[in-house]
Amino acid sequence: MEQRAVMVQQPIDGNVIEACQQGDRDAFQLLFETYKDKVFSIAVYSVGGDRALADDVTQQIFLKLFTAIRDFRGDSQFTTWLYRLVVNACIDERRRRKRWLPWGEIVAMKHTGDRKPQEKQFARVEVAEAVREAIAELKPKFRLPILLKYIEGLSYEEIASVMNCSKGTVASRLNRGHSQLAKRLAHLNNASTWND
Amino acid sequence: MFSKHVTKDISAYCHGELSPEAARQFAEHIIACAKCRGEFEEIKQGIKFAEQLPQLEAPESLWKGIEARLGEERRVDVSRRAWRPRLVAVAVALVVVAGLGLWRLWEKTSQNHLSNQFAQQWWQVQRLDGAPRIGSQQIGTTGRLGIGEWLETDGSSRAQIAVSSIGTVDIDENTRVRLLETAPTEHRLELERGKMSAMIWAPPRLFFVDTPSAVAADLGCAYTLEVDDHGAGRLRVTSGWVALQLKERESIVPAGAACETRPGVGPGTPYFEDASKSFQSALKEIDLQQNSAAGKQALNALLNEARWRDTLTLWHLLARVPHDDRALVYDKLAGFVAPPPDVTREGVLQLNNFMLARWKSVLEAHWNPIGIGDKKGLLKKSLVPLKKPYVPER
Repeated sequence: MEQRAVMVQQPIDGNVIEACQQGDRDAFQLLFETYKDKVFSIAVYSVGGDRALADDVTQQIFLKLFTAIRDFRGDSQFTTWLYRLVVNACIDERRRRKRWLPWGEIVAMKHTGDRKPQEKQFARVEVAEAVREAIAELKPKFRLPILLKYIEGLSYEEIASVMNCSKGTVASRLNRGHSQLAKRLAHLNNASTWND
Repeated sequence: MFSKHVTKDISAYCHGELSPEAARQFAEHIIACAKCRGEFEEIKQGIKFAEQLPQLEAPESLWKGIEARLGEERRVDVSRRAWRPRLVAVAVALVVVAGLGLWRLWEKTSQNHLSNQFAQQWWQVQRLDGAPRIGSQQIGTTGRLGIGEWLETDGSSRAQIAVSSIGTVDIDENTRVRLLETAPTEHRLELERGKMSAMIWAPPRLFFVDTPSAVAADLGCAYTLEVDDHGAGRLRVTSGWVALQLKERESIVPAGAACETRPGVGPGTPYFEDASKSFQSALKEIDLQQNSAAGKQALNALLNEARWRDTLTLWHLLARVPHDDRALVYDKLAGFVAPPPDVTREGVLQLNNFMLARWKSVLEAHWNPIGIGDKKGLLKKSLVPLKKPYVPER
């Protein structure tokens, strides 16, 4: 099932992180449950919509997290540190595969959400699908800030910290990303039913 | 002096990432600069698309796979029994952290309301008179209007709404409004009945008011909007511009002009309020029954009364009068302001959209000297002066 992107971050307490650092499986599962959907979403959008591959990438991210969390010293926010790990893993995956897989070429996205017959609901689903395709076609440097903004709800400062760049660069890349989305999806502008 | 272009800040503005001062300068610039406004519209559309991006749900099997791959050797000697008391401590800590977070959020909001303009899902309401209500609750000195909530005044109460950080709306007596949306790319209010006065300082088409008979889209302006018990409305613009829309029908209303709206019909034809009474009553007749003999008679009366400034009404009438009457309106309009060289009589009579828009872009400078993106009067300078009286084509 799909959910609309939410801008709320569930807090993970320092004690949970400390327990994870000591290898506590239950604490790690709590951490996993908190972030699994967001990490999985970024992975799916980053590997061209292949859910099986995204499944594997997500597992790798959490396995790496389980080891790397011992080195987390709290110098930055945990979420910033986590998403840096996610972004790097997705970039590594891209390098490993040499190219991004075209969206939908491997596995068509399966929609299990409500598909009400109403025109508006149908239009929204179609637009969401078109947006996913358009985002998959963006260059990673424009796509990742968009994913961090709309899936994770991060501020520009947090995105800058995750991507190791300035806030100005984040603003500029989001501008370019938004602009490209608008151009690629211009044909949907007249389909007013989705944004009524 | 014209300030520097602000295109690099568009996304940051929409996401509330600019300081209040920078956001104010941004809005001022974008109202005046057509180039930046064009890019603003495009990026705003991109943001609307990005907001449709769904968060996906990870498959249930994911944790089992991770657990299997973690391996037994990583299992440490921390039993569940040992964990449970700590879980309680963690839960308590989470509550404390959440409480602290909320307190800090409140503190930050009160100290720097403007910088959080797009994050909050409510608008601040101030009582001006009497006992306005939000839902069933009377508000004290101030209140919060959340998305989906109604604000209602009775015969002796009034209120003022702070529309995020982009303006204010005064709510008169016996009025009922509802907050429909407050987001980076759109702020939307519904006026069910009564009267409201809006003062908005933001880029065009960021603030909308839905009424039973039309949608008012702000183009950087101040205006009053009234809706009666039957859903009919009246718009009066005191500064800037407002677009009234219902489906394909749109009326552009500049400062000094007014426009009526009717349920099922949409916006009527706009007119300047200093037009003669007979002009106004003829226009009302045309809007009501343009296909009848009375409508034709009213059109003749209107054309006789029309002044140079009434090109606002004449341009809108081009697309609204029957085809047989269109040439009369064209000739009168062209007699006041010649169409640009790339606009032909035939094209206008056929309602060619490009030509209508092209002519309007020239006429707008007459309708509002400080037009959209025309603080320097550039449009006015581009006017084609009439060197000799216009003679209609035969």
